[in-house]
Amino acid sequence: MKTINASGVGEAIDRVDGRLKVMGMAKYASEFPVENLVYAQGVNSTIAKGRIKSIDTSEAKKQKGVLEVITHLNAQKLKAYDKVRPSYTLTTIAPILQSAEVNYYGQFVACVVAETFEQAQYACRLVKVTYEEDKPDIHLNKNKGKAYKPDEAADYLRGDIDAGMRDAEVKLEETYTTPIEHQHPMELHAAIISWNDGKVKMYANQQILHEATIAVADTFMIPKDNVEIIAPYIGGGFGSKLRINKHIILGTMASKMLGRPVKITVTRQQMFTNTGMRQFDEQVMKIGAKKDGTLTALAHYTTSHCAIDVQYYETCGNVSKMLYNTPNNEITHRLIPLNLQCPDSMRAPGEATGSFALECAMDEMAWKLKMDPIDFRIKNDTQTDLGAGKPFSSRLLKECLRIGADKFGWKNRAKQPGTKQEDNWLIGYGVSAASRNAPYKKTSSKVIIELNDGKVHATIQMDATDLGTGSYTIIAQTTSDYLNIPVAQVTVELGDSKFPLTPGSGGSWGAASYCNAARVACQNAITGLKNKKNISLDQDISVSDLLKQNNLNKFEAEGTAEPSEEFKKHSVFSFGANFAEVWVDKDTGMYRIKRMVNVGSAGKIVNPKTAYGQIIGGLTMGAGMVLAEQSKIEPNFGNFITRSLADYHVPVNLDMANIEVIFLPEEDKIANDMGIKGIGELGITSVAASIANAIFNATGKRMRDLPITPEKLIEAKVEKGVA
Amino acid sequence: MRPFTYTGAKTTAEALKAANANSNSHYLGGGTNLLDLMKEDVERPNELIEVANLEHKQVIRNEKGGLTLGGMLNNSETANHRDVRTWYPLLSMAMLSAATAQIRNMATNGGNLLQRTRCPYFFEVSMPCNKREPGSGCGALTGMNALHAIFGWNDKCIAVHPSDMAVALAAIGATIEARQTDGSSRMIEIAEFHRLPGDTPEKDTNLEAGELITAIHLPRPDFSTHYYYLKIRERASYAFAIISVAAGLQVTDGKIIKAGLAMGGVAHKPWKLTSAENYLSGKTPNQANFEAAARLAMKEAKPLEDNKYKVKMGEKAIIRALTQAYQRKA
Repeated sequence: MKTINASGVGEAIDRVDGRLKVMGMAKYASEFPVENLVYAQGVNSTIAKGRIKSIDTSEAKKQKGVLEVITHLNAQKLKAYDKVRPSYTLTTIAPILQSAEVNYYGQFVACVVAETFEQAQYACRLVKVTYEEDKPDIHLNKNKGKAYKPDEAADYLRGDIDAGMRDAEVKLEETYTTPIEHQHPMELHAAIISWNDGKVKMYANQQILHEATIAVADTFMIPKDNVEIIAPYIGGGFGSKLRINKHIILGTMASKMLGRPVKITVTRQQMFTNTGMRQFDEQVMKIGAKKDGTLTALAHYTTSHCAIDVQYYETCGNVSKMLYNTPNNEITHRLIPLNLQCPDSMRAPGEATGSFALECAMDEMAWKLKMDPIDFRIKNDTQTDLGAGKPFSSRLLKECLRIGADKFGWKNRAKQPGTKQEDNWLIGYGVSAASRNAPYKKTSSKVIIELNDGKVHATIQMDATDLGTGSYTIIAQTTSDYLNIPVAQVTVELGDSKFPLTPGSGGSWGAASYCNAARVACQNAITGLKNKKNISLDQDISVSDLLKQNNLNKFEAEGTAEPSEEFKKHSVFSFGANFAEVWVDKDTGMYRIKRMVNVGSAGKIVNPKTAYGQIIGGLTMGAGMVLAEQSKIEPNFGNFITRSLADYHVPVNLDMANIEVIFLPEEDKIANDMGIKGIGELGITSVAASIANAIFNATGKRMRDLPITPEKLIEAKVEKGVA
Repeated sequence: MRPFTYTGAKTTAEALKAANANSNSHYLGGGTNLLDLMKEDVERPNELIEVANLEHKQVIRNEKGGLTLGGMLNNSETANHRDVRTWYPLLSMAMLSAATAQIRNMATNGGNLLQRTRCPYFFEVSMPCNKREPGSGCGALTGMNALHAIFGWNDKCIAVHPSDMAVALAAIGATIEARQTDGSSRMIEIAEFHRLPGDTPEKDTNLEAGELITAIHLPRPDFSTHYYYLKIRERASYAFAIISVAAGLQVTDGKIIKAGLAMGGVAHKPWKLTSAENYLSGKTPNQANFEAAARLAMKEAKPLEDNKYKVKMGEKAIIRALTQAYQRKA
């Protein structure tokens, strides 16, 4: 029964919220009109380790409009961590201003509350803090002795890695490093928070609402139901808005203490120190293979850092568990507590960085084996996830590589690095394989169908969020499809923690989870209406006729979608391949990414237009990892010397290549009923490797330390064995 | 941001008078650098005197056969002006490589010359910086100095001047006209305009208190045929030069009559490569001579801990810029 609409699942329709956004009518967290508002701003520490000796707030308090300066001396008592370095999860508490201890540069040491934003910001400068300063631990290399295993899941072993290396005829061991990066969504972190009789209502740009309410409630030791979060629009998050950051707690505390609603915003400079980051990773790759390219061993050892008081790590090694067919496989992750803020999730945590190491190492190995890097990968392809011991629900990696090679013109690649040249440019081609698990989580929604003057309108609600990725649009398309009404007759309401429970936006599970929940609610509505009138479930009848036959103007139904037993028996992943053509200036260290081809197999593409946006966003971030993105830590002071978007360099339009994105048609009903898989994080995965591999093909230089800046490239030596 | 008062000057005389009356005032052009520095608490004027709307917004052919660029004209209009594009394409190319279109639309020519270093130690008030706070020390000297000077620095300051426009002006040999608070004008050669750090790194230029840049005078155009501005940077736009080279050649009958060469990203001021210019004068424009000139230019380089790469990169950049300049057909 697909008759009246041409805008359901699979159509590249425009965003349903596009008009609101371009007209400035979509309300973001800091834009809600709230009466009697005051403004709060955090004051950052200027040492990386030590304790506060004194805080003089007198000058700040004297200023016009300043209402309060909160420090550890007058702060509300919050719940404390119940153990040493608990894992930083979605529901982890965020205690702040609880003692004089300073654990990292930029830690909030005070919070100024004033009648205006400008008054609060100015008064922040007048809070005088004196410290008893200790020497901070900020160097990974100098603190290797403190490395520890964070949890049981950090290590994995299959077979015998030493035996696998002994069996190998060709061996590789190399180290790859990736720097600290920051998520930097366009929309700064911000919230408007009201504390009323132990109940908290906040407009806050959180990606995942339910878990955030728990984190806030736990921190203030109040019942979980007492916190409501509203986040209808979010201007990007890239992981930084998954968890409750400390400014949310400062704002809540300020509202509680002053009895007025508080707007708290985080400056771009504070986005370097107070809202999360990607960790620095040092990854050692060990690969063994037979001369014919058969892998005998693959090991992936990651060393990184966490905060002094809480731990998080991105699982760089996990990609090496599942991508290739190798009997002997070892993964470890080690952490070193440093005087830096706790790292957290940044787009494809683990995969973005892990795939750089793995897919560069695979390219290096192919070169050693004198094999084509695509053939080498396909030689070691597998339809079983050996890490999980389960078959893949579907895996079209081989197809992604072959089709991509064809579209890209891989056959024109120079076999010998440094031999393809045009004027001053050395031209190189690179390839990499991409994989990202496609999670699917229990998700609920509610649909309200109304009949007005004979016209049906459906409103669908869930506590999902839209980071700008297109959640509104694909949920509208799904609702349109399953109720068989035009998209124009669907209203999607998201971003309220009082709505039916979803897993929120993050981890690439949004599209599959949200759409299937909408599907079930719509199906339940139709079934419910048919059952009331004993209409056969097979009968083809419109929603509007169903309401009329029931003599109803309004009907509501809820629905919950969740993974099937089949899903649990399988390993469900999206796959892809990246191709890059890079032109490297032969003398000056400059290079340009000329072309990129990305092929993805990510199940049913609900909306090719928003999906394309996701992929080019991922490719741009992947290019950023290579070109310039890095947050540099000052070695003597422990602060980030990259402090704004003028010196934290993300790619500009001119840096981005001609991009071709191809989605392979894929039906994966094991993944979920609609066959949808995530693509948000697939897009960034292994992009960096394809570019670094292209640079090798162009120059014969192996660049194992990101980003690949002109200064590094000009100093790098051509690999031994390259003519 | 600290509270400040705003004075919208209607005439140059009014602006000069206001500046003379308040030693803690600051002229405001496009504000593309100053306002950032005020938000960072690095610059702390208590009064801004807006000069962006004053006269001095023309490009005029001057009596010496060159052009005069208004001090308050914005960078976009200057770089895209027909006469600038035709006769001083080196300047146009350098200016258009700078910042972003939005910033160039705001930034004034005078302000461009007066923009301050992007050294991160200068920008962060919790770190030492002799330029920001004389006597506090140079954090970069013992810290991170990959992007710092290789020429003309001392242990008081190793910062580099960030302007692209000024590098091209140094190669061309421009003259800056400044109005003094008594209303009189004086001319300052571009080479004498910016300073090396010496004992007073807090002073970027030789302008005196309250002086206002009203014009930039360009000499007769010598490099309108053979020119190139090479800018090496991490991304294709909106990034300061790691190293830049402005190269202009005047070639007649297969000989270089005159060479204009200056480097950016290597010193406290636009770094004029005088020895290389002199070497090239009278020589044949070929690879060997370009290489010899580049070696000569880099001979005096004194790299720091993290920026040794700049010596090699600088040499390659000079050769490339000269080659591109020579090969370019107007």
